[in-house]
Amino acid sequence: MNNLIEFFKKAFHIIVLAVLLILSIVMLGKSLSFNEYRLSRAVQSIVGPIQKSGAGMVHRFRLGPENEALVEQNIQLMRERENMFIEKVDTVMTAMSQPDSTNHKQVRLYDYTFAHVIFKTVDRAFNYMIVDKGSRDGIVRDMAVLSPEGVAGVITDVSPNFSTVRPILHPESRISAVVTPANQNGTVIWEGTDPRVAYLEAIPQHSEINIGDSVFTNGFSNIFPKGLFIGTVKSVQVGNNASFLTIKVNLATHYADVYTVYLVENLFKPEIDTLKAHFKDE
Amino acid sequence: MNNIISNILRFLVLLIVQIVICQHVCLFGYMTPALFLLALFLLPLELPLALQYLIGFATGFVVDAFAHTLGVATFSCTLMMFLRPFIIRFLNGTNFNRFENVERPLPGVKDFRWIFLYTLILTSIYQVVSVLLGTMTFKNFGHTMLVMIGNTALTVFVILCVEYIFYNKDKNVS
Repeated sequence: MNNLIEFFKKAFHIIVLAVLLILSIVMLGKSLSFNEYRLSRAVQSIVGPIQKSGAGMVHRFRLGPENEALVEQNIQLMRERENMFIEKVDTVMTAMSQPDSTNHKQVRLYDYTFAHVIFKTVDRAFNYMIVDKGSRDGIVRDMAVLSPEGVAGVITDVSPNFSTVRPILHPESRISAVVTPANQNGTVIWEGTDPRVAYLEAIPQHSEINIGDSVFTNGFSNIFPKGLFIGTVKSVQVGNNASFLTIKVNLATHYADVYTVYLVENLFKPEIDTLKAHFKDE
Repeated sequence: MNNIISNILRFLVLLIVQIVICQHVCLFGYMTPALFLLALFLLPLELPLALQYLIGFATGFVVDAFAHTLGVATFSCTLMMFLRPFIIRFLNGTNFNRFENVERPLPGVKDFRWIFLYTLILTSIYQVVSVLLGTMTFKNFGHTMLVMIGNTALTVFVILCVEYIFYNKDKNVS
């Protein structure tokens, strides 16, 4: 009997080892077979919540690349939108560029790219933004600048690697706009210091404008494609000049938060500008 | 007492680092470091053998639970803990007594060659067993070998770095 106890004392660790190894082999076998998943489910119920919160944390660090991928995807989608093309015979461009085309031929008029804002001001009288793409990336003057929410501004100056944007928040900024559903064309200007509010000018007094009506670009300027969102009507007043309304517009773009912007190039702009120049000369 | 606390702390820290960071590392698509092995390497040798096996088992189980590979690290760790005294005996030559002259595989106590061999042998035992158990096949054995060697190399490198950064001669903790 004593011998037996001695033996157990000596071999105790070997027994423990054998038990543990067998246990782990059993666990391995159970986790491999699809029928016996009770054990892994029990473990999962404890580990799962911890891992989920951890995955959320890791996901935050990966948001940057994911955002870039989504921006690329957005551009792909926006390039296919209807207002990117011209196909009507009665526009200048179709007659010019495609003399022998049929009515339904689509010609790409606008193209998209994107950039990131690296500097901006919003609280001055003359605001501006700088984006991280320039002439080397194919940026040219007078490209339209859009934020994810809506219209943001126009490229005014281009260096090899950077460009300056004149946002709506600039006294010289003018954007041809149409207010729906009244369908009246006007011009969005900015005067003052509130980066959230602009004015819509040149809307005749007889038109029925309601608070909350949407303001879009009308595509007259050849900078902005047609139908881009600018903002919503905030208030309507009869102005000093009796023939026009004074309309305040809540801008869609939150300039304080703008980081990624989309740049729109009018591919036929030089051509149209030539036409305009001729018109001026005469 | 101080020794126990520092050991427990080391286990906690290394396990968390392993679960949160190391497990998600996939260098070149197949190299994953097993940093938590360091906690097992530095476990005091004078502990009862059965307790050492149990600690190895528990550590492996925690790692397994978070890696969804129940049994793999558990088995490998337990086996590694069983083989550890033999490796130390082999490295030290014949004059080895588990209860006297307790060895710590740390810079300052041992030279680089000893530590490197100790880490390399134990890590390769762990990686060979766990990779084989994880793949459960001898198909495409070339790739399996590559994974073993890659994992071992990366693990040894990371563990040696950690040892030489955190356990230098001046502050020889635990």
